[in-house]
Amino acid sequence: MLANLKEWLQDRKQHLDLFDETKTAKQDNPLYIIGSLVWLSWMVVIVSGVILMLWYIPTTTGAYRSIEHITYDIPFGWLVRGMHKYAADMLIICITLRIYRMYFAGEYKKPGELSWMILFASLVLGMISGITGYLLIWNQRAFWAAKTVLTVPTYYDEIPLLGNTGLGHAITYIFLGGPAVGQATITRFYAIHFGISVVFVILAEVFFYRTRRRRLNLSPFVIVLVLAFLGWLSFERLTDMGRWANPNRTPLPILSDWYFLALYQLVKYMPPLWAGIAPALLIGYGMLVPFLDRTKETRPLERPLFFTVGMLALVYFIAFTALIMLNIAVISRDPPIIMAVTAVVMVAAFMWELVHRRRKARQAQTPPARPAPPAPRATAAAS
Amino acid sequence: MTVGRRRLLKVLTAIPVLGGLVAVLSPLFRFLKPNDGPWQIFTIKPDLPKGGAQVVGKTTALAKPWDFFYFTYVQKFVQYDPTGYKAANIAGVAVRLPKKVKFENASGFVGYKGETDIALFQRICPHLGCIFNFIPDFHEITAGYGGYVPPEFEKHALMGCPCHLSIYDPAFPNDPGNVISGPAPRGARYFEFEIRGEDIVVTGAELGGIA
Repeated sequence: MLANLKEWLQDRKQHLDLFDETKTAKQDNPLYIIGSLVWLSWMVVIVSGVILMLWYIPTTTGAYRSIEHITYDIPFGWLVRGMHKYAADMLIICITLRIYRMYFAGEYKKPGELSWMILFASLVLGMISGITGYLLIWNQRAFWAAKTVLTVPTYYDEIPLLGNTGLGHAITYIFLGGPAVGQATITRFYAIHFGISVVFVILAEVFFYRTRRRRLNLSPFVIVLVLAFLGWLSFERLTDMGRWANPNRTPLPILSDWYFLALYQLVKYMPPLWAGIAPALLIGYGMLVPFLDRTKETRPLERPLFFTVGMLALVYFIAFTALIMLNIAVISRDPPIIMAVTAVVMVAAFMWELVHRRRKARQAQTPPARPAPPAPRATAAAS
Repeated sequence: MTVGRRRLLKVLTAIPVLGGLVAVLSPLFRFLKPNDGPWQIFTIKPDLPKGGAQVVGKTTALAKPWDFFYFTYVQKFVQYDPTGYKAANIAGVAVRLPKKVKFENASGFVGYKGETDIALFQRICPHLGCIFNFIPDFHEITAGYGGYVPPEFEKHALMGCPCHLSIYDPAFPNDPGNVISGPAPRGARYFEFEIRGEDIVVTGAELGGIA
């Protein structure tokens, strides 16, 4: 059992391909530079983050002012801050695109399971790093996002049958460092925000050192183009400060970073316990997809059920994001509609899968057609 | 099984040595444990927020039905504040209801002994801890709080949370402050209060989630 697992891991480690370093042949296809872009944006985030650390003050009283100071007083401080923010956004976008590419192209199948799981986990870690990062600004949005996110685990104490284990509150208290968002929370979030990158950059370096792969499989032109675009973006769209966190006034509407908006809408639709469990189920599904999808087919239309689930996830992500930006959530009307649509689509996908499998089986039964007779030779005449 | 003299002596010496080791290490374990919360094994009662009696307003400020004012109940208990101010505030709202209600909620917490038409609610949303607002005009709920249209008997001032659009009815029959729309699992929390002459005096607060 353990030996089998070890063998499985060894085999997958051989084919680990986190930043598309081995896809040199497909470099002309823009879909296959996403992995390298992940690495590039990650490096930009780390370098700019270390520079920001020189001036940032992780206290409730100093955080907001120090970021104002960085943005407006320090020479090129706005650039460093903008690069940090926009490169982080780019990192999330690239990992998401990479994950969708792997999903629809079936790249998570053997031997890509481990690559898929690591990349999916890195998306989750990236989002955690994002939410711990934007509390550090200590503005209204950050304060309320931290508060609402960290209240969700307290509902884990209400899981039926399991009873109150105190685990949910313990999770919350460990992250908050006390009963409410305050100084201890900033300190802990700062440590987590920074720690995630440090730990994983070391792991990535070890990976590159041992496999002797190229870190950045991009042409210098693309690198310069991306960096120039990030610099232009930080100049053109100077990152917003928002208002100083005020624990007595909730902003309306409350919004978070764009990649959390769909989850926020989900929190509105669901009772709080389910809102806490649903993301865990989503992450669980993501991690287990390679083991659920047992066919060898990689083309999306050859595996209708998983294709539909992926499309549904994409459509819901976009639709929920749009709905929360318009601040529409009619609790009595929307969830039944969403449930009904999901049920209908899933049943249709299941039927499609069945029909497809039956057709494949029938094709396998009928003997293959006789090969066409070889074309008459015309070599002598041609030459 | 017999216990030899040597073994007995070993055990007897081990006890104080191990005890000493635990005593030395115990402050280090302190860092693994949150400052406050569950898992506080050695305290008999958790460190509950207690503020003592405080006058938060006058009944004269609530002359007509649906008159309201916001107040802050400051507890002697360290909680959040962006400026490092060490006191816990519970944002609250006082409102004059058009009819008398019993101020006892579904979970059995009694806010006011007897019937009252002055109601005090904590503005900490029981859903995920945002501070919700008192909204005198219910049309604003429909416009800015996600499109909820209250039924006929609830077309009056309501309370709404901007975070996830939970709507509370301060005059809900038998359970004032009950949630009428949105994901909140329960109604608004109560203060424990008395009315002494013209003063509205808060004496305690219903405990809840993360403030």
